[in-house]
Amino acid sequence: MSALDPEVANQLAEDLPPDVFRTIISTFEQDLTRLAQDLARAAQAGDQDGYERAAHSLAGAAAAVGAVGLEREARIAMDHRQPESAATVLPRLLTEAKAALQALRALTY
Amino acid sequence: MLTPARVLLVEDTPTQAEIAKAMLRDFGHEIRHAENGTDGLALALEWQPDAILVDLLLPDFSGIELMRRLKAARVNAACIVLTAHGSVNIAVEAMREGATDFLLKPYAAARLRVTLDNALEKRALRQALDTARTALGRESFGGFIGASPAMQAVYRTLESVAGSKATVFITGESGTGKEVAAETLHQASPRRGRPFIVLNCAAIPRDLLESEIFGHVKGAFTGATENRPGAARAADGGTLFLDEIGEMPLEMQAKLLRFVQSGTVTPVGGTRAEAVDLRLVCATNRDILAEVQAGRFREDLYYRLYVVPVVLPPLRARGEDVLLIARHLLQHFARDEGKRFKQFDVAAEAAIRAHPWPGNVRQLQNVLRNAVVLHEGEVITRAMLPDLLLQGAPVMPGPPPPAPAQAASATAAIEPLAISEKRLILAALEHTGQDVPRAAALLDVNPSTIYRKLTTWKKEA
Repeated sequence: MSALDPEVANQLAEDLPPDVFRTIISTFEQDLTRLAQDLARAAQAGDQDGYERAAHSLAGAAAAVGAVGLEREARIAMDHRQPESAATVLPRLLTEAKAALQALRALTY
Repeated sequence: MLTPARVLLVEDTPTQAEIAKAMLRDFGHEIRHAENGTDGLALALEWQPDAILVDLLLPDFSGIELMRRLKAARVNAACIVLTAHGSVNIAVEAMREGATDFLLKPYAAARLRVTLDNALEKRALRQALDTARTALGRESFGGFIGASPAMQAVYRTLESVAGSKATVFITGESGTGKEVAAETLHQASPRRGRPFIVLNCAAIPRDLLESEIFGHVKGAFTGATENRPGAARAADGGTLFLDEIGEMPLEMQAKLLRFVQSGTVTPVGGTRAEAVDLRLVCATNRDILAEVQAGRFREDLYYRLYVVPVVLPPLRARGEDVLLIARHLLQHFARDEGKRFKQFDVAAEAAIRAHPWPGNVRQLQNVLRNAVVLHEGEVITRAMLPDLLLQGAPVMPGPPPPAPAQAASATAAIEPLAISEKRLILAALEHTGQDVPRAAALLDVNPSTIYRKLTTWKKEA
């Protein structure tokens, strides 16, 4: 399954000038790095609120660029009713993040 | 797109903020960005944006709470809520709190453009409607009461010119509210909170007028025992209202012209000119252009002062305003005098409406104060109003009023001349509806004599 919702991501690439689109990807990458660290730190500290807050922000950032796979994993992480532990969700989430970034970069070529 | 607007974005996720900013920039709007609700509120208050894009989930408090705070702070911007798929219900709640529309994230540039343009257009229409309603329907403005078209025009002019420093020249019959207009202008201007100084040019002896306006230094003339700042310096930062400017002597007009041209005052007997920053408002009940043509008012000064004319309509030209004012005055006087009066009967209202009120609002005040003081009850009836009003006859110079007649009678007690003089002047003013020039004509004295006496009595009181 593709890491990106082509409708959202392609629309964004069309709407914005290439240099601006590249800036957006760069901002997205910074968001990913920061929020992934926040998630891992919160999970390690047992800080459920912090974990859900970081997951929510990650879902928002992912949705904005059409990173559907990453958004799905982030929404699982932000839902405290779901049974999967952070140790299970986080690796999947990082994999999706890498795939989304790669797919977005491909749109700039 | 509509004209470029000020758009405030309140969004905490950098990726989403960057995308929105890039799109808004492309639309040609001016953008500010806040990352939380507190900063968003502060920016909205300071910058007064046309539209605000609000993310529903902010780090400090919710977008809904921000909407409430914006509403409480009377921020008049079109608010658009940004929401994810799962929070449409909350977006609907935000609409109840005053949001114009909501946008589901992620959104394409075209969707943002349409939503924003619609919101801005809706806001512009609402503002135009509010302005039209205000312009058509105001029943009062500042110190004025009245909903007539003639007064709406006055309100609009005062409102439009309030923010500027332009000199305003108010004309109108006696009792139409020239000082009220000047004070309303001052209060509507950025100078409110600074001094509003009134100087009646007819009430001050011509020898003292220069000193009254520009001040004097100690020893400048006999009786100048200390430095005195004068009205112009007292009004620094505020408004100087020169009433009855048509009565100003020609030699004083030359000095006023110099002041208007230079913006500086030199006190009588002084050598150093000092800059003052004031807004000048002038008024007269004379036909000032006729005064210019007759050579009694300097043409160059006329052109300096007659920048924004405001013509106050006589009460007889204000239609139903006379009843609005009468009802307001009745409540005010009843409260003031500890009476129970609440309303007029139909016949009294008809008499008030039919009278031409040559002394305008001031005459109406006197008539109603008189009726409230002399009678009891909850309703002012036609019979409680003065005979002249009941006959519908204009107040014209006629037989002498009772008070002077009694004073002059051989059987009247002998009393000090000053008391007789005061009684006669007050009777003449009462007779003419407080029209000083006409009272002066009846008494065969100069209006400035009456103004001077009134000032003295006021000080004594």
